[in-house]
Amino acid sequence: MSLLAAAVEPAFLVPTLLLDICFLALLVVVAFAIVRMRSLFGIVMLQGVYSLLSAAWFVTLDAVDVAFTEAAVGAGVSTVLMLSAMLLADRQSTPVPMRRQLGALAVVVLAGAAMLYAVGDMPAFGDVNSPANSYVGMDFMAKTAEEVKIPNVVTAVLASYRGYDTFGEVVVIFSAGLGVLLLLGLNGNSGNWVARPNGQVINDRTAPSAGLYQDNRSEEQRAEAGQ
Amino acid sequence: MSPFMGYFMLGSAFLIIVSMAMMLGRLLGGPTLYDRLLAVNSFGTKTVLFLCVFCFIIGRPDGVDIALLYALMNFIATIAVLKFFNYRALDVELPSRNVTGAEDVR
Amino acid sequence: MSLIFSAAVETTHAVEHAAQIDWISVFRLIGTIVSMAAGLFFVLAGTVGVLRLPDFYTRLHAAGMTDTLGAELILLALIFQSDSLQMVLKLLLVAFFLFVTSPTATHAVGHAAYRAGLKPLLGEYRAPDLEEDKS
Repeated sequence: MSLLAAAVEPAFLVPTLLLDICFLALLVVVAFAIVRMRSLFGIVMLQGVYSLLSAAWFVTLDAVDVAFTEAAVGAGVSTVLMLSAMLLADRQSTPVPMRRQLGALAVVVLAGAAMLYAVGDMPAFGDVNSPANSYVGMDFMAKTAEEVKIPNVVTAVLASYRGYDTFGEVVVIFSAGLGVLLLLGLNGNSGNWVARPNGQVINDRTAPSAGLYQDNRSEEQRAEAGQ
Repeated sequence: MSPFMGYFMLGSAFLIIVSMAMMLGRLLGGPTLYDRLLAVNSFGTKTVLFLCVFCFIIGRPDGVDIALLYALMNFIATIAVLKFFNYRALDVELPSRNVTGAEDVR
Repeated sequence: MSLIFSAAVETTHAVEHAAQIDWISVFRLIGTIVSMAAGLFFVLAGTVGVLRLPDFYTRLHAAGMTDTLGAELILLALIFQSDSLQMVLKLLLVAFFLFVTSPTATHAVGHAAYRAGLKPLLGEYRAPDLEEDKS
């Protein structure tokens, strides 16, 4: 079913708008909770919930592709990555003094004001004559059905028309993932991390959180893992 | 789909959202780690239900794929969290009771 | 109420032509409504339980039982209503995965909490030791 044919029936437009508003309200609540919370584990869980909520919101906006990406990356992978990063850090975040937050606050207020200023130039929601709906976009809509035999136009554009671009993105994301895995050390060494390039000990200090977890391994297993 | 069934499904979707919002309360105020984990797991189940109901309303079977992905991702995330907090690593074998009988599972 | 009436008329529109009620549609409608209402009741009851009950294990009880049953009932209601075979198969797959993973996750959370030494809120009764059920 193509994106055009799958438009929501007009009778349900107002209720689905209400659903959108509900999701946005929940997103705001979760965002404020993330900012206010001190327990890092709670923050990781809340980020998982944030991505769950935003993916559900994307589905109500009829953007199934984005929701799929958000589901795979946001809820699954990044939760696991955040948890393994948490093992290298403390359990609680220390509060930042107020005067160090003023600069960030100024940047956020300026950026928000600029975005609010730019909202006036955007086309209305669902405008037929907006740039996205009038020039080259309609061309893609018309020709995708016979040029690429994929019913979903967005997928056709991503995988076929800009195939090389997407391939480059995949390479970038793959190398980023490799770097993150190497940094976190997901092979069981997280928590007691000793870097020794060429057999030379550079730093024998363990991560700050290592003492917080009870080490229930035997002596030789610990020696085996550490040496 | 008749109009009555459409509104019935929309009402159900709203009730599921209400349930999600209430679960968020436990997630924010849960005293222990396990309370939060339970709330996140339950929240994920409710999101799967919402996605199924909504995709049914707009008549797109594609969306149910996302619900399927979520049902699996939610389970993986829960198990990953538990393994991290028990063993500090992902690639450990699960404890088996009849090998040594010891708690030491590494 | 008039909406329900119009739906019933719509689903039984064969009455005018053949003087025969489309019983399959009626059963689908009734099944959907009953199943969806029961599922929503269980889901909401479980959520209220998670919010209101006093300690972790009782909350786990509320969430674990009702979430699985409620989810299965809601998915059953959708299966009653869906027209295409593709939709039915996908919903069945979701129902199967939820049926397998939801109790497993509940058990894993509860077991991890008990092994980590989280004490249940007890009156005069005492939980059995972990060592006993090991033997």
